[in-house]
Amino acid sequence: MLIKYIFIPAAAAFAAYVLNKKNKKAGATITALVSAYLLVSLSLLYGSWELSQSFSLSLMGYQLEFLMALTPLSWLFAVLTAAISLLIAIFSIESQADFKFSSVFNLNFLLVIASIMGVFFARDFLTLFIFWELMTWTSFYLISSGKKKMAAKAAYRYLILSTAAAYSFLMAVIFIFQQTGSFAFEPAAQFLLNNSAPQSILLLSAISLPFLVKAGIFPLHVWVKDAHGNAPKEFSPFLSGMLLKVGIYGLIVVFHQLSFFKIIENTISYRGLPLLSYLFALLGAVTIITGTILAIRQEDMKKLIAYSSISQMGYIIIGIAIATPLGFTGSMLHLMNHLIFKSTIFLALAAVIYRTGTTKMYEMGGLIFRMPLTFAAYLTAIIALAGIPPTNGFISKWVIYQALIEKGYLFLALAAFFGSIASFMYVFKPLSTVFLGQLKPQHQEIKEVPLMMKIPMLILIGVIVFFGVFPGIQMNIITQISGYLGIESVNYSLYSIQGAFSAWNSLYIFNIFTAGFVIALLVFGFAKKSKLVGLLDTYSSGEYITDAESYHYAYQYYRPFDRLFDNLAAKSLTGFYETLTANLLKSGESLRRIFAGGRVQNYALYSVLLFVILAAVGWII
Amino acid sequence: MIDIIYRIGHFILITLFTTALGLLFMGIARKIVARIQKRYGPPFYQPYLDVLKLFGKDAITHGFIFDFGAVMALGGVIATLFFIPLGSWQLYSMEGTVLLIIYFLAVASLGMAMGTVGSGNPQASVGISRALTQMLGYELPYLVILFSLIYRYQTSSVWGLMQAQSGSFLNWNLFAYPLMALVAFVVLIGMMGKKPFDAMIAPAEIGSGPVVESGGKYLGMLLLQKSITIIIELALYVNLFLGGADNIFSFSFKMLIVWILATMFGSLFPRFRIEDGVKFFWKWPLGIAILQALYIII
Repeated sequence: MLIKYIFIPAAAAFAAYVLNKKNKKAGATITALVSAYLLVSLSLLYGSWELSQSFSLSLMGYQLEFLMALTPLSWLFAVLTAAISLLIAIFSIESQADFKFSSVFNLNFLLVIASIMGVFFARDFLTLFIFWELMTWTSFYLISSGKKKMAAKAAYRYLILSTAAAYSFLMAVIFIFQQTGSFAFEPAAQFLLNNSAPQSILLLSAISLPFLVKAGIFPLHVWVKDAHGNAPKEFSPFLSGMLLKVGIYGLIVVFHQLSFFKIIENTISYRGLPLLSYLFALLGAVTIITGTILAIRQEDMKKLIAYSSISQMGYIIIGIAIATPLGFTGSMLHLMNHLIFKSTIFLALAAVIYRTGTTKMYEMGGLIFRMPLTFAAYLTAIIALAGIPPTNGFISKWVIYQALIEKGYLFLALAAFFGSIASFMYVFKPLSTVFLGQLKPQHQEIKEVPLMMKIPMLILIGVIVFFGVFPGIQMNIITQISGYLGIESVNYSLYSIQGAFSAWNSLYIFNIFTAGFVIALLVFGFAKKSKLVGLLDTYSSGEYITDAESYHYAYQYYRPFDRLFDNLAAKSLTGFYETLTANLLKSGESLRRIFAGGRVQNYALYSVLLFVILAAVGWII
Repeated sequence: MIDIIYRIGHFILITLFTTALGLLFMGIARKIVARIQKRYGPPFYQPYLDVLKLFGKDAITHGFIFDFGAVMALGGVIATLFFIPLGSWQLYSMEGTVLLIIYFLAVASLGMAMGTVGSGNPQASVGISRALTQMLGYELPYLVILFSLIYRYQTSSVWGLMQAQSGSFLNWNLFAYPLMALVAFVVLIGMMGKKPFDAMIAPAEIGSGPVVESGGKYLGMLLLQKSITIIIELALYVNLFLGGADNIFSFSFKMLIVWILATMFGSLFPRFRIEDGVKFFWKWPLGIAILQALYIII
């Protein structure tokens, strides 16, 4: 029964709310238990793809059917959701001690989990829409419960974009409903396939708009930075790791199950790829570049990683859009890996915020000597993010590169290369300014986070390396998904994936990596032992150093690089949207002045005129 | 068992040989630069003496991350080395794709960056910030070149790309795609941090940047790392553009030629500001590389 995966978290949400009022730790514990149950129970469902469930309801003469089913795709997403919420819940048992809204947080968090499950299992537009909206609203409350004043504004922007997109979704869906008389996916796909192509494309674009907003694709990425930056620290991992991916899930549904790719199959193509798909992939490329350049400029570590999420989503979009076996595989791998390493990064940052209470990078420094495990988690995760072997991040990027080079998509590859090399720059910035460098006097007494917060980070470190050596495990489910969607699968074994030009063997890589390290360690170990000195005991060109604070290079770390893009960044898209809003308001105001002008008599006149016109039209017809 | 011992022996032999060769190249470079500047210069074996001296000296450390960074830097390049065909020597080179090598090199850079920034010296941080910025400059044209080569020869292993140029020397990519070879040469100079692109070490300005805090065995390890890195970068160039070689001696000879040319070019120009260096890489090398790539894929 699939409904229980929605019902149980939803019911537990209210229990968590009530109990958390009594005990601060109860809410997160309940969330952890529910997620653990979901994880185990869903894992046991692996393979039973024929599972489905439906309810029908008669409303105002319409027979409405709510359909749900377990597909390999929804299974993967649901399991990932359960796993990541489990880790976050364990983390937040301790970390929410001083969080004012922890009851509301757990209420909404469980509701988000419930609604996301609903989104993944939905097989008709109505169910999808209901749970989608529930997810948007609950996550809106979660984001706005962040500590800062900005959180409310950020959440508001997120809500406006989501709502506008949801309207377009609803209109397209109702149009299809009028034609087919059903909300289910299959008749809709059939209808769209037989309909005229331009109209179908328009309808599907309207349907995919909320997914594009959720995935943070350029030019709809403006909500991501502030929402991630200001959301409660425990929710950011989920927001970046999972909520962005829900958009990708929706896009896969639109592309494959609502037959978007079949509709555009025979249109104009570029290098064997329909032009629309290519344009879509280009959108992914622009997303990579925008996210990267803006990430490098950030001084706030959560916002920096938020921009990095935008740029990593670009890779996933490119792979899905080109839809070759390698592209799709790379995309799904990167989706999973991004979830893993990005939530590790956000958890590590949450640990830092828990101890220091700030997100500004230049207000910290040298934390490695106080929080070594948090540093290790962050380091492992950024090695994966930058795509350095032997971690999982390299494998997925490698597969995407192979897919791009195989078909000779030069400009997409250029963006992918740019995003990857530049990611060294932005991930190194928090590493260098928060964890390395001079320890600030006010942080001398800081301790490592408590055990319950360490556990999720340790698990995630293990997972990153584990999937870096055994990508075959991830490939099992991906092969199931591509089989289900009708995409050819890629050859693989436990250690290796067959690319377009060569195979990737992670076991060899791991061994050689170890061998290199062992040799270097031997060289280091046999040399003379060195003497430990303090951080202020450094070469300073003869200057006398008095305090650690002014001896820490952190603010505007990449100023020379930023200078290259100053002009571009000044024309920010947020500014563009704000100008647009202002202009809309202004034109609305002038319209109001023309028609209304504040006199009641005018309104009466307009009503009469409208009535006359309608009567005249009715009479003529 | 015999196989494993053979492999381990091979590992050590290759590591020792490359280190020695890299140090020799560094000595030769110092001599050449000195002669260009009308100095006599140190003897060519000076780097060997330097390494021995450095490992014998007392050293200071700034904590475990400083140690770990040095180990990671050296370990990263040694690991990379095994993926590259050096003449007829190849351990895992069949497994190594070009992209893998580029990313493996990043392990070493990350280790070095982490270790030196871990010393708490802001000059090291400035140097690293410059080095990473410049890396974005030169890696882009390089990756575009690799893109074209892989697409052209339909293989991504260095060995395969080398085999594709076998036969007459006119098959070498140097003659088949001279523009590409030129771009790669400029990129090579940037990669090695030679002169117009040496703002990240800038001894007179930021106290040699990344190595400012390293002394004793730390500097010795970074010197070894540098020598192996030089060989890796030269070997990639020789394999990709000069058709590789079938024995280690002619391979070393080809590397030496490229190294001497790079050194000579690298001592002629004044230093670029960091953003000007990036601009240069994105204007000329990247522009030419993209044009070449378009020519190949169309």
